[in-house]
Amino acid sequence: MTGLPLLDTPDFALLARYTVGGLGGHGTRLLSGPAQSEGAESLDSHESRWGRLDPWSARHGIRDTIRASGLEGRGGGGFLLARKLDTAILAPGRPVVVVNASESEPASRKDRTLVTYRPHMVLDGAAAVAAAIDADRVIIHFHRGSAVAGTSLAHAIAQRHLAGRADPPWQLSAGPDNYVSGEASAIAALLEGGDARPHFAALPMAHVGPSGRPTVVNNAETMAQVTLLPLGCRSGGGVTGAGPGGVAQGSHMFTVIGAVSSPGQVLELVGSTTMGEFATHVGVAAPPAAVLVGGYAGTWIDGRQAWSASLDRDGLRPLGATLGCGLIGVLPHGRCGLAETAALVGYLAGETAGQCGPCVHGLPRLARACTALAEGRMRRRGSRQLVALAEAVDGSGACSHPDGVVRLIRSALDTFAADVDAHVSGRVCRGASQPPVFPIPRMEPGTREWR
Amino acid sequence: MSVTVRIDPIRCRGHAICALLFSEGVELDDWGFGRVVDASPEDRDGLRRAHRAAAACPNGAIVVTGAEAVTLRSRRTGVRRR
Repeated sequence: MTGLPLLDTPDFALLARYTVGGLGGHGTRLLSGPAQSEGAESLDSHESRWGRLDPWSARHGIRDTIRASGLEGRGGGGFLLARKLDTAILAPGRPVVVVNASESEPASRKDRTLVTYRPHMVLDGAAAVAAAIDADRVIIHFHRGSAVAGTSLAHAIAQRHLAGRADPPWQLSAGPDNYVSGEASAIAALLEGGDARPHFAALPMAHVGPSGRPTVVNNAETMAQVTLLPLGCRSGGGVTGAGPGGVAQGSHMFTVIGAVSSPGQVLELVGSTTMGEFATHVGVAAPPAAVLVGGYAGTWIDGRQAWSASLDRDGLRPLGATLGCGLIGVLPHGRCGLAETAALVGYLAGETAGQCGPCVHGLPRLARACTALAEGRMRRRGSRQLVALAEAVDGSGACSHPDGVVRLIRSALDTFAADVDAHVSGRVCRGASQPPVFPIPRMEPGTREWR
Repeated sequence: MSVTVRIDPIRCRGHAICALLFSEGVELDDWGFGRVVDASPEDRDGLRRAHRAAAACPNGAIVVTGAEAVTLRSRRTGVRRR
């Protein structure tokens, strides 16, 4: 198992059926190229590897290529990119492309890593998508708090202007870093001068956004994945292993937290492997107690079950999980999954936009119930009420924020069923008094901004 | 395209008029907010009740979409004129 290369080599496909790596090294991953210490990759360096993109020369082919690739959004929803583009093309009005680099998942770092260190991978993909649907501009949205990402993007755009690239007009937008402000409809609302809160729409935004025009919102990784596709409008470039037109295998980006050798590390996986083999690359030697997959509103999976599951959409589906934003949280033995869940639900309940019934009334109650369960102040009847409350909250908000919290709670009750039995019988595990393993952002009261 | 009834949970303030006028299609959750249980009423009476609920909501929280919605809406004004 350990004989597999940690970083890919030019002929990695011959050596292993998968490759895991971080920033730097040879190959055709999104993160291969200059080492992290060299900072943002320049346009010169990028084009020497990937060639120069001229999306307008093949704009009709780009959509076909994206459709054939079956590329799904990497922000969490997993929506087919090709379907968004089809909707935007058929809808009235000239489309706008929005690149969501805000990455509101508190522990996820993959989009920030991409826009900070590989900005041209993101910009190439966004330019290709804009050309494919004849959008008149591309807006790149990031969190005001991640100034490094904004600076890197601004420099990258300046380099492209100076080099005279055939790009769509770029526009940078910085917004507040609330959890729900990274939701696509919240960003679209902010861009129209409103609050960065999710809103309700009878039609998909790719059909008509708040601006009245088709609005195609995709996260930074999705755009970078487009750059890996054989777009057929690239010239030059000498990426080892990339075929004509820059053909590279698609990949998946992950952020690992919890009981790993380097929490917050971003890794890119090419090919498919099991969660267990992936975990050995980040310093997890044996199946942990449990794994949280997909984000803070993700799904708990029992450690042993997760170990043998393949780390892709099809492997996770039977376990009720999705890749989501690519967050993998490792809960070590000796810690209490119910206490961890209570901390996460408490955080998520405080991060609502306060607009709909389920978030305003349901989430605070769910948070209190989860805390009571974790602290052993709940009996069997209370745990049944918790299940009923989760049922009442599920699927009734304007955005999927409450649904995500319900998913987290349901998977916790399932994965930690034995702990639930012990807790409701008054036998609280020792791990419950420990501080949470996963980092929980703290916010000063009264400092929240929505603009 | 079939008719779809949806409630905008952000606009909903729990007046519950929809649950009276379109009782087969809307139920109230634990906090009194409307929740659509029959999003695509098949019969004309059901559709008419859905439209009536949409028109009666003080917050305009009920959204009825679909091609047929337009024809039914004009029919409803006809009823009102009579």
